[in-house]
Amino acid sequence: MIDAVAAKIESGHRLSFDDGLALFRHPDVVAVGQLANRVRERLHGNRTFFNRNLRIEVTNVCVASCLFCSFAKLEEGMPGAHTMSLEEAWKELENRQDDPPSEIHIVNGLHPKLPFQYYEDLLSGLKRRAPTVHLKCFTAVEIHFFAELFGMTVRTVLERLKAAGLDSLPGGGAEIFHPQVRSRIARGKATADEWLEVHRVAHALGMPTNATMLYGHVETFEHRVDHLLRLRDLQDRSGGFLAFIPLAFHPDGNGMRNLPAPTAVDSLRTVAVARLLLDNVPHIKAYWVSMTPEVAQMALRFGADDIDGTVVHETIYRSAGSRSPGAMSVGELVRLVREAGRVPIERDTVYNVVREYGAAQAPEADFKVRDRQNPRHLRTVS
Amino acid sequence: MSTLVEQAIAAAGLEDVLLERRAGDLRTIDANRLAASDLLVLGALADRVRAEEVGSVVRVLTSPPLGGAGVVTFPAAEEKVPCLDLLRAVAMARLTGPRSVTVRVDFGQSGLEIAQIALNFGANELMGPIVSKSGAAFAAGALAGVGKKSRLELASALKRREIEGFIHLAGRVPVFVDAEPRAPTEGRPTAQDGRP
Repeated sequence: MIDAVAAKIESGHRLSFDDGLALFRHPDVVAVGQLANRVRERLHGNRTFFNRNLRIEVTNVCVASCLFCSFAKLEEGMPGAHTMSLEEAWKELENRQDDPPSEIHIVNGLHPKLPFQYYEDLLSGLKRRAPTVHLKCFTAVEIHFFAELFGMTVRTVLERLKAAGLDSLPGGGAEIFHPQVRSRIARGKATADEWLEVHRVAHALGMPTNATMLYGHVETFEHRVDHLLRLRDLQDRSGGFLAFIPLAFHPDGNGMRNLPAPTAVDSLRTVAVARLLLDNVPHIKAYWVSMTPEVAQMALRFGADDIDGTVVHETIYRSAGSRSPGAMSVGELVRLVREAGRVPIERDTVYNVVREYGAAQAPEADFKVRDRQNPRHLRTVS
Repeated sequence: MSTLVEQAIAAAGLEDVLLERRAGDLRTIDANRLAASDLLVLGALADRVRAEEVGSVVRVLTSPPLGGAGVVTFPAAEEKVPCLDLLRAVAMARLTGPRSVTVRVDFGQSGLEIAQIALNFGANELMGPIVSKSGAAFAAGALAGVGKKSRLELASALKRREIEGFIHLAGRVPVFVDAEPRAPTEGRPTAQDGRP
């Protein structure tokens, strides 16, 4: 089977739904990874991207009750609920004067009472403090919610936020598009069609966006392939997706707390299949917060070409039990990429190169020499 | 093995390694050439050798073994090794080690994620304690369940099933060994279905 898929890719034919399903079910995950790696290296060689970013979650108050979410609180005043004042949000940026981010990534709960002016002022205040910073803010679910709450069209919401400083949209809120799953785990928020429509409008306004998929909970492989192909279809028409980010489900503290988290091999396979199916999306991101730095590093050989960024202050995954650190330094990211035998490239949000770090003097080769001379990783029990 | 994998191994110039191991002539295997090879090709080759030499059983030792000849364990105790280095070392041990050597991964050290991936790189034995995700021992009698409608069971048993599950998903057969020399209990192989 995988040989037929490989032949299709070599001959430039697009993979089908059945091909995607077969890749998810193929018993040899390393073979699937090899195929994805071949495509990844054809597109990007050894180049692997990351950026200096800052996460701000200004409010976790949210009217939606998604089963997978450990972050949201239904109302102000509930234990753990928080909403930042504008000054507090701007302070997050001011605190990074020594290591200024090139991107601010803002994702929030669906707060029923904050006025639209709050979001406009949030953006314009950040731009005043850092005119060159890229503002990647508000998922399509939030944009759709603003449109409904404030009685505007999606286009008007996006135009007003763009005027206030918004540069692009993150890819969150996609979860799983298929209604069999979406109606169970993400009831009461934007449907798949509404999510896709927000991105279509954003692309039409010249605003790039990302896309995600939350995997490893109650969905099947069929649902995953369906999700990926819906994204591919929109990308054919609008062309604005920069990167696809598979997000591993984390079970702690949410309505699906008794489900196991997806395994590392499942994460690698999902990255690989995404690379192979999404032939029109330039970048596949191994988001280290979601899949742990170690598995993200491995994913750089299974089709991913981006490892996200320094992040700083991510709380959504940490609420759900992620054991990943809350932030990583540029030095740590460079090391992770080099250890994978790749070349670290610091980028801005839209993949302009900020700095090329070059390959390590001895990335994995360091191990090879070390091991030949002194097998310090080996412990023989006999 | 798929043509894709065979081609990758041939392109890396490693197709003779399999023949050399089958012939039992390990001296001719060039470790330097292997060490310079692409990690996934190396893993695919090591997995093939593993399948031929030790089969599909994965022993899971839940307490430290008393000893045993012909076992190589990764990583060394208390050593923090980059995961890619660890996987390469596992594959190298399978390809350059004695025939039918046991390649063991200590998931207490490496974490379950890396141990699971290592099963595709030549490893055939896992070792480590059955503990919670945070590394804490389960309280005696602690119960847990999967899914809202499932019945509760011992949390430690659930953890064992999680390990058993990912071994099945790798197409392998788990055998838990709780304390040597007690007789092992064999897990049931299951067909891989559409659920991840």
